[in-house]
Amino acid sequence: MIPLLEFVNVAFRYERGSVLEELSFRIEAGDCVALIGPNGVGKTTLLRLAAGLLTSSRGRVLMAGRTVTALPRGEAARMVALVPQRFEVPFDFTVEQIVEQGRTPYLGLFTGFKLRDRQAVERALELADVASLRHRIFNELSGGERQRVKIALGLAQQPRLLLLDEPTQSLDLGRQLDLLALLRALRAEGVTILAAMHDLNLIEGTFSSVLLLEPDRPLLQGRPEDVLRPHILERAFDCPPGPPVKLVADKLFAIGRNR
Amino acid sequence: MRRFSSRPWFLLIITCLAALLGLAIVLSIGIGATPVGTRELLQALFDWHRSNTNAVILFEIRLPRVLASALVGAALSVAGLLFQGLFRNPMADPYVLGTSGGAALGAGLGLFLLPRFTFLGFGTTAAMAVVGSLASMALVYWLARIGGKVPVVTLLLAGFAVSTMLSYSTYFLVLLDDNFGLRTRVLASWLTGAIAVPKWSQLEVTAAMIGCGLIVCLPLTRRLNTLALGEDYARQVGVPLEKTHLAIILAASLLTAAAVSLAGVISFVGLVVPHLARLILGPDHVRLLPVTAIAGAIFLVLADTLARTMLAPSEIPVGLLTAFIGGPFFLYLLRTTRREYTL
Repeated sequence: MIPLLEFVNVAFRYERGSVLEELSFRIEAGDCVALIGPNGVGKTTLLRLAAGLLTSSRGRVLMAGRTVTALPRGEAARMVALVPQRFEVPFDFTVEQIVEQGRTPYLGLFTGFKLRDRQAVERALELADVASLRHRIFNELSGGERQRVKIALGLAQQPRLLLLDEPTQSLDLGRQLDLLALLRALRAEGVTILAAMHDLNLIEGTFSSVLLLEPDRPLLQGRPEDVLRPHILERAFDCPPGPPVKLVADKLFAIGRNR
Repeated sequence: MRRFSSRPWFLLIITCLAALLGLAIVLSIGIGATPVGTRELLQALFDWHRSNTNAVILFEIRLPRVLASALVGAALSVAGLLFQGLFRNPMADPYVLGTSGGAALGAGLGLFLLPRFTFLGFGTTAAMAVVGSLASMALVYWLARIGGKVPVVTLLLAGFAVSTMLSYSTYFLVLLDDNFGLRTRVLASWLTGAIAVPKWSQLEVTAAMIGCGLIVCLPLTRRLNTLALGEDYARQVGVPLEKTHLAIILAASLLTAAAVSLAGVISFVGLVVPHLARLILGPDHVRLLPVTAIAGAIFLVLADTLARTMLAPSEIPVGLLTAFIGGPFFLYLLRTTRREYTL
């Protein structure tokens, strides 16, 4: 079976030195993958490569078996959606108007919204649980609400793969757990997800596998319980031995399940 | 603030504005240095010949001028809307960015270098205005863009610097004029912005230019909505960025050039009108485009009527009036828009 996303010996260089070297991994349809690694290791770059926004300097990025950068941009956008980390809107668009932009890859220059576009937007609003916010102004929403709207925006693209860049960033604990519940719901709906995560405590119980990106080491891919081990994380994140990460995660999820 | 963003509201607003524009045009035709009453107006409408003084005043002097101000207002407002969408910045406008100044310099050069050559009553000024506005826009765009982004500060500063250089270059043309004649006066009025009485052929050319500009930007309105979410996002969902930017710049420059070749540099119209429209309708460019065009036409028709009647029989240049309204408005925006929007 052809994997949904496959990196084959991918390397990427910015003008100043290399960021990513020799990356190989696969994501199957239905997976929910957390991408972790220390700051600056190239998580966002990896996501942008997967979305076809950057072209690898070596190796190949395959989307359902086809080179993603060789696809016409519109076609690639119907397969993979990247929800950006930073997202600033200069005008007072409503939530619905924002989410409608996700239909752009399906619209021609002169064709307007059709029924299936309307339905896709409705479905995205409902899946991300922001239907009740549709007439609110995006810039006036709280951080947690904005994250959910951004996910709805990605879902409106009806992608086969949803890429999220730090979806829990700058959310309080309660909103983080809400967001994880949303990811689990999406996973149950069959949405394939690759999310860059910086809070390791939020991974177990939600994600089916973990990609650990380390500087100067091969990529590590595995089940959360195999990758999120103290000795691996201490090495990867260059932190002194301390309380095992697992312990903190267990406490959190005890809270999460009781909600 | 609850906006009137539903479809019925939009249709109602469009209808009301269209009616208002008709009313404003009729009103401003009726007002002027020589009083013409309602009855004479109607009479002139049905009894049109050269010996009828009222008819000549109405149809050869006032109507062309009123239509010119409507065209100029619509063109400048839509150009402002396009620039604001392109730069994701509610303070962009053809005057602030120097596009108007470029068009004026181009038109001035056309007037000086090829004064004899005329085409449809327009000379080279219209064509040179297009060249000038495009060149100055390209310059500002290139100057303000830093590493794929256009920060507000560099945009406004680049626009300021370029437009200052351009207006002084246009003043310099005045010095080159040896006999302080017609051309100097034309240039001076271009720099302050005043609507002269145009020939019908001029109106036709300008209307065609504005029509082209509007047609080009119609399919771009939805692209502008997508661009508002950021260039990165727009690229991600398959918007061809370079082509879209180029098309927006072409349309906005064409509109600005058309407006400048009729009326010179009229400031801030492109700033005030889209902003007010956005306050009422919300930021959806698909709806903003027609509303902005009609509202801009109303705004300038009324402003020009005021400009030619306030101190009748002498006239204030309408550019002076819009500067008095728009300048404080710009400063107010600068003060309230604290967030730094970048591309």
